This record gives sequence, structure tokens and C-alpha cells, in this order.
Amino acid sequence: MNQVVKWISVTASAAALISVVGCGTGAGNNATNANNATNTAGGGTSSAQVTLNETGSSLLYPLFNSQWISAYKSVDPNVTINAASTGSGKGISEAVAGTVQIGASDAYMSNALMSANPSMLNIPLAVSAQQVMYNIPGLGADKHLNLSGDVLAQIYMGEIKKWNDPKIAALNPGVQLPNQPITAIRRSDASGDTFLFTQYLSDSNSEWKSKYKYSTQISWPAIGNSLIGATGNAGVVTELANTKYSIGYVGISWLDKATAKGLGYAALKNHDGKFVLPTKENIQAAANAEADKVPSDERISLIDAPGANSYPIVNFEYAIVNSKQSGDMASALKKFLKWAIDPKGGNSAQYMDPVHFLPLPASVEPKSEAQINKIGG
Amino acid sequence: MMKQRRKRRKVGGCIGWTVAWLAAALVLFSLADMVYTILWNGIKSFRISMLFTITSGNAGGLENAILGTLYLIVLSIIIAAPLGILGGIYVSEFASSRIAGVIRFLTEVLSGVPSIVIGYFGYLFMVLRWGWGFSALAGGIALTIIMLPYILRTTESSLMQVPMAQREAAWGLGMTRFQAVTKVIWRPAAGGIATGVLLAVAIGLGETAPLLYTAGWSTYNPSLALTHHQIGYLTYIVWSYIDMPYTESHALAYSAAFVLLMVILFIHLVVRAIVQRTMVKH
Amino acid sequence: MRKVSSASKTADKVFRVATGLCASSPVLFLVAIGIVVFIESVPSIKFMGWHFLTGTQWNLGDMYGNLEVKNGVSAPAGATYGALPYIVGTLASSVIALLIAVPVAIFTAIILAYRVRGPVKTVLSILVELLAGIPSVVFGLWGVIVLAPWVAQFFGPLLTHLGVVIPFFRGPVGTGMGLLSSGLILALMIVPIITATTRDLLEQVPILYREGGIGLGMTNWEVVRKICLPYVKDGLIGAVALGWGRAMGETMAVLMVSGSAINYLPHSIFSPISTMAAVIADQLDSALTDATHLAVHALAELALVLMLLTLITNFLARWLVHRGGQRVRSGVRA
Repeated sequence: MNQVVKWISVTASAAALISVVGCGTGAGNNATNANNATNTAGGGTSSAQVTLNETGSSLLYPLFNSQWISAYKSVDPNVTINAASTGSGKGISEAVAGTVQIGASDAYMSNALMSANPSMLNIPLAVSAQQVMYNIPGLGADKHLNLSGDVLAQIYMGEIKKWNDPKIAALNPGVQLPNQPITAIRRSDASGDTFLFTQYLSDSNSEWKSKYKYSTQISWPAIGNSLIGATGNAGVVTELANTKYSIGYVGISWLDKATAKGLGYAALKNHDGKFVLPTKENIQAAANAEADKVPSDERISLIDAPGANSYPIVNFEYAIVNSKQSGDMASALKKFLKWAIDPKGGNSAQYMDPVHFLPLPASVEPKSEAQINKIGG
Repeated sequence: MMKQRRKRRKVGGCIGWTVAWLAAALVLFSLADMVYTILWNGIKSFRISMLFTITSGNAGGLENAILGTLYLIVLSIIIAAPLGILGGIYVSEFASSRIAGVIRFLTEVLSGVPSIVIGYFGYLFMVLRWGWGFSALAGGIALTIIMLPYILRTTESSLMQVPMAQREAAWGLGMTRFQAVTKVIWRPAAGGIATGVLLAVAIGLGETAPLLYTAGWSTYNPSLALTHHQIGYLTYIVWSYIDMPYTESHALAYSAAFVLLMVILFIHLVVRAIVQRTMVKH
Repeated sequence: MRKVSSASKTADKVFRVATGLCASSPVLFLVAIGIVVFIESVPSIKFMGWHFLTGTQWNLGDMYGNLEVKNGVSAPAGATYGALPYIVGTLASSVIALLIAVPVAIFTAIILAYRVRGPVKTVLSILVELLAGIPSVVFGLWGVIVLAPWVAQFFGPLLTHLGVVIPFFRGPVGTGMGLLSSGLILALMIVPIITATTRDLLEQVPILYREGGIGLGMTNWEVVRKICLPYVKDGLIGAVALGWGRAMGETMAVLMVSGSAINYLPHSIFSPISTMAAVIADQLDSALTDATHLAVHALAELALVLMLLTLITNFLARWLVHRGGQRVRSGVRA
């Protein structure tokens, strides 16, 4: 008996020791954070240590991960933000399930989900866009192909199989297109990028609209290895770079990384029939064209906005938040989100420009703020 | 005629053995290539500083994942080791042969349940229904379910190998079965039990599927909290960072795989040493 | 004779009950998993009926549209769950794995059991066991950076020459992510399981039988083929079934090299596929955005089917292994 007790207690204490040592480092970090707090907490109002968990959109992830998290440390040192790039679908579902406080999503929640979870808020944090990218060796880096939603739908349905198809050639007079089969790349996780892209296709191609519709995850056309799944924007960029003569849709925050990998991006046909690039001006034009129509719950599609300059695939980046939050968490969450949409805070150019996002239009920001004020109340 | 037949049989034998050697060589070559790939890329990208920095941005370090893995393993072994060892003792020392057979069989069946099904069960039951959220405890219990069968089985078979005479001697001294197990029988079996626990740890270290939807993922060092706090682990880094389009992310994935492989290799060597030592003793 | 005190008798009873409870824990876990997975899949079983097993469309429906009610279960309009492509993907990839792994493993086991001795044998055995201990993400990592490119650039184009005879080998080869790579990586993962079990079985063939064969004038190889292998046949089939169960349930490595196909039955050995296990890991987050939760239930049904398939092969395997060799224990995960 004694032997067993001894043996078990030795293992247990060894285990406990390991865990204490393991967490000792964690505690150490907290201690340094606390020190920072006393040094820098100028305007900080939230008192307790709070961890805000964010998960979801891989399009929004670079903004959180590379810009906001480090910047916010000096705004409120008591708050640690933990971000993960898992796809908008997961952002929505985890926020609804309550496993994270902020679900990042490029897509707003559906009516069905909203009526099942009426306490959820869809809060736009910034304006984003999506470009269509391709890997065509020899095309030239500064050459942008002209593509339309109709042609893209036919590519993704397997009806256009090669790059030199007359339908693509017709949009690109004078461009030498390769006689190579197209490999289309889609997201395999539930993705806001899929939501935006399929919305654009649905608006431009009636067959797509009736068969596949739009969502964060759709029942993709069965065209074998002409259509490949990849996880996250990161996965799509990697797959595009690895696969010659491929095409895919990528969030704008990944533009620089993708072009550095030698990928090109297309000028897309907009509502007015013009081919436009995802420049700051063109994205702004689209956002401005729709800004007045934004309802108070802010669930609205900015796809295919009217205007000669409007870029067709533009969207709000949403924080999906449950308004039912308790004390410390509610105030920390409110403070962070208000900072995030503040034109002098998270929405300032120093954070937005590196990821090619745009701040919320002036008429939309108050609506986001009104939604933020519902948290915890 | 006879001669021809003998020759044919001889040639047949030669071909057979050649194919067999080639097959063994193929297995060894694949293993060597895999280990070489991981080691070479791992050594190229691994930096000692990774052990003391947390994951951030496109790369960073492995500290959070290593501590998280450790925490998950400790949690799961705290649950799985007593359950498995005591369960193994019951099957070997107390159970009637029919009950022992049933438990043994169902334990083996449990070890055949795909790990993703265990993860899915953990998500539906612990994360959502019991409301633990992504947490160390949910991940730890998912790992427990995976480790338990190994510990129970090795404990039982190590005890079974202890000669009946030792038991009879103990009983003859007037010991109860309980005393016999705790004072006498466990000693020769201890090495076997320890290898079982170690192998279970090695298996737990390498699991990903059951953790994806139970432990979540965190770029921060774990707190001691059991529930509602996500936790990082090494296999997640291997899985997700190799998908990123940056060299520094790939380096982190290789490093994580490298660390994992080294630890698992080390455990296997320790297990071998224990097995060798107990074999010498007998 | 020493008298047993009542205190130690009580301690004995307490210990017995405590160990008994611990021993029943795997059974409880197994039952809990079975019940939870079954209960969660009931709505999907009601909604899809047998079409779940025969349908080829996996469609969450128009999640931004209206709900409709079918068979008493509400779902987004157009939702339908046909798991056939995943069932086929699971079976096809695991059968390819078996076709490669079984001969390789048996030959390797023969070498390990009869051709090497002493330290060489120990080292080779350790290496095979190490292969079994490598985490599946590491297999996947190797699959992504070494195997899939090799299949795409070298092995695949080579195999397409066979396409003239067997249509299933016809190209295009694509990116290397697909059925062939999944099968190859699974083969590598189950080789150690089959090898270790077969080796143990072969070592149990009584020496008298083998000497008898030699005495009859058989060559070494003939002894192996005509005496040893038939002797361990049942156990061997069991070992294969064990490996098959593992191959069907494997998640991460396959997820990384399968190409995540959807709604698509493989047309060739290069087609992208998805297996049941990979779909559960890959699609749970999509499923959770379904307000009616039907998609979650459909995944539960997929888990149920997968569990039943692996359990059947496992039952078969254990039964055959136990009947074949007297409770052979392999030192590896099985």
C-alpha cells in the first residue's frame, strides 16, 4: 500500500512541479505586464486583467496580428488580445457559442442565425476588399488581366477550361494568353472571402446564382482537380504560388505578400461595366456609394456597388460580438472596439495602410459606435 | 527434369528473399527520408531563442506551444495514469476471466475509435454542452481517452507476466490480494507499467485531431485555468504554419516538428532502456 | 499462519472496488462517445434517410435564404447531405494504402523475424516502432513538402503510362494532392502496425514445423511461404484489418495531402478526395454557421458511420488476431 501511495504521490508531485514550472513563465509574463501597467497606464480605465480572444477571418487577421495587438498594448496594458486566423465561419460560430469574445468575419450573420441568436451584434470595424489573383508565368508582373464575374463563374464551374479561351481573350485584347488548363483554387474552410467572391459571381452569372448561390461555404461545382481547396488566405496564396496557371481569390490584406510571391491580380468588371483595380480610391468609391444605405444593424453587402470607379468586391470587416457580456469583459470589449473604429485610433492610416484597408466611412462610424454601446447593457 | 525443378525452386527462393529485402529497404528508406527531412529543415530553422519566445506574427517562437503541450500532457496523464494503472490491476488481479475478456476487448475497441471522433465528441459534449469552452481540461480529457487504453493494456500485460508463484507466495504469507499487489507483484511489473505510461505520453504529444476542437489555440503562455482559456500546442504549429506563404512560418513549423520528433525519439530510447534493463534482470 | 485483520480485509474490498471502477472507465468512455454521437446524428438520419449513404451532394443549403422543413427537420433551403464521396474517399485511400502496405509489411516482417539477428534485429525493430510513433502531422508535413511534389513531378507522370491499359491511372496528374498521395502516406503509416504484429506472429511459428519443412527438403523461402505464412494466416488477416481501421480513421496527414474535394467522386488515382475523418476536421466550423444545426448533426452522422466502419474492422481484427496467435502483443500503437 505504502509503496503505491508513495509511487503515486511522487508522480503526482512531479507532475505538479512540472505544471508549476510551466506556468511560472506565464505568471512571469503577467508580472511584467503588470509592471508596464503601472508605468504606462495613463488614460486606462479598465481595471482587471482581461484577455480578449479573437478568432476568425484570415483577411482581418493581419490587421489584428501585426498592427492592432501591439498598438493596443500601450492603450490598455491590462488587456491581452489573443488572435487566430481560422476563417470567418469559425469566427461567427465561436462568437455565437461564446468560446471567443470577438469573432472576426468578412461576412455578416444570416437572418436565420440572427433570429436564433438575437443578442449578437455585427459591428463593422473597417472597409476591406478582395482581389482575384493568378499565377501565369511570363505574363509580366505589372500586367493586370481584365476579368468579369461572369467569366470567373464559368471558370469555377469548369465551363472555361483554358487560359486562352475566347471568352477570356475577348476581355483582354492584345494579351498573349497561354494554352494551359486553369486550376481554380477555393477556400475549404468556411470563409468570408468565399462569401464575397460567390456573391460577386451570383450577381454576375445567373447559372451560378441558381445552382450555387452565396455563403461562407457552398456546395462547390464538382470539376475534379480543376478546383482545389486550400485553408485560409495563407493557404490560397501558398497554393497559388505552388501551382502554375492557377487562379484564386485573396483578401486585400494579403496583396503585398502575394505579389511578392510573383502572383498577379486582375482588374474586375464593375456594376457600370468598367474594369477596375482594387486601389484605395476605387474601394473608397464603392464604400461611399453604399454608405447611406447602411441599416442600423449594419448587415449589408457592398458587392457590385454602382459608380464608374467602384471596385466590385468590397466589404465591411465585422466584429461579431455577443452583447451579453459581464462587467470587466464588457467594459474591456467596448473600450477596445471603440478604439478600433476611432479614426485617430485603430482606424488611423498607420494601421490601415499596411493591410490596404480603409477606415469606416464617416456616416457609418456612429452606427458602429451605437452598436458597441449595446454591449453589456 | 529434377535438376531443372530444383533450379527453379532455388531461383524462386532467391527472388522471394530479394523482394523481401527490397521491401524492408523501402520502409527504412521512407523512414530515413522523413527523419532526414524533418531533422535537416529543423536544424536549419531551429533557434534556441524559440524556446523562450511566444508565437506572434508570422512566426515567433514555440514557448507557448511547448508549455501548452506540457500542460495538456500533465493534465491528461494525471487522469489517465491512475485510471489505466488501477484498471489494469483490476483486470489482471481481480476480474474473472470473462469480465477481464470483456474489458480487454472494449478497451481495444476504444483504442480503435478514430481520434477525430473523440475530438468531435469532446467538442459537442465538453466545449458546448458543459460549456467549458476551448480549454485545457477539454483537451486533456480528449487526450485521456486516447492514452487510457495503452496504459491499461500495458499495465495488465506486465502484471500478467509476473509468475503465479510470486502471487501464491504472497497469499501464502497471509496477504490479501490488495497487499500482494501493492507489496510484491507490482515490483517486477513496474518497468512495463512505466513504459506503457511513457508510450502513452509519446502518443499524446503527437495528437492533433482530438485537440483542434477541444483545446483551441492560443499564442500566449497557458495559465493554470482549466476551463474557458484556449491553449496552444506544438502539433497545431506544424499543421497551420506550413500552410502560410512565408519562409519564417515554415521555419517555425519545421522547428515544432523537430522538437516533437526529438522528444518522441527520446521517450522511445528511454522506453528501450527500461525494457532492456528489466530483460537483463530476469 | 498470520491472521488477516479486518482492516486489511476492508482495504482489500475498497481497493477492489476502486480498481474495478477504473477498469470500467474505458467502457464508460466508449459508451458515452457512442451515445453522444448517435443522439447528435438523429436529426440528420431523419432528414436524409438512406440517401445520406448514397447521395453525392454535400450542401449546407442557402444559409442566407429561408428555412424549409423536410421530414420534420428544419434546414436552410436546398440543404442535402450525401456522404458517398467521403465514404468512397475513405475506402479508396485506405484500400490503396493496404494494397501497398500489406506486401511491404509482410516482406519486412519476414526479414525481421527470420533474416536478422542480435543488434541488427534490435535496431531495425526500434526503427519500425519509431515509424509507428511519428505524429501524423509530421507525416502530413512530409507529405506536403516531399511526397506530393514527388507524385506531381515524377511518380504521377510515370504512372500515367499505365493509363493506356487501366483508365483509372489516366492523368492529368494535377498538384499531387489527392487520392494517390493520401494512399501512399496512409500506407507508410500502417506499415509498422502490420509489420510489428506479423513479426510477432511469425516468431511464434513453432521451430519444429520449420525444421520439419527443411527436413522435407524445402528451401528456406518455401518454408516461409508454404509453412509459416499459412500458419499465421488468421492473425495476419487480423493485423491487416487493424491497419485498415487505422487508415480509415486517420485525419491530419490525409487532410494535409488529400486536396479536400467536395461533391466529387474520384475519376482517377490523381483526383482530389476527402475522407470522412478529414471532412469532420475540415467542415465543423462551416457546419456551426448553420442556424438549424443540421450540418453539425450531419457531421455527427458521418462520425457515426466512420466509427461503425472502424469498429467493424477492429472487431474482426481482434477476433482474428486472438484466434490466430495466442494474444499477440505488438509494442506499437495498434
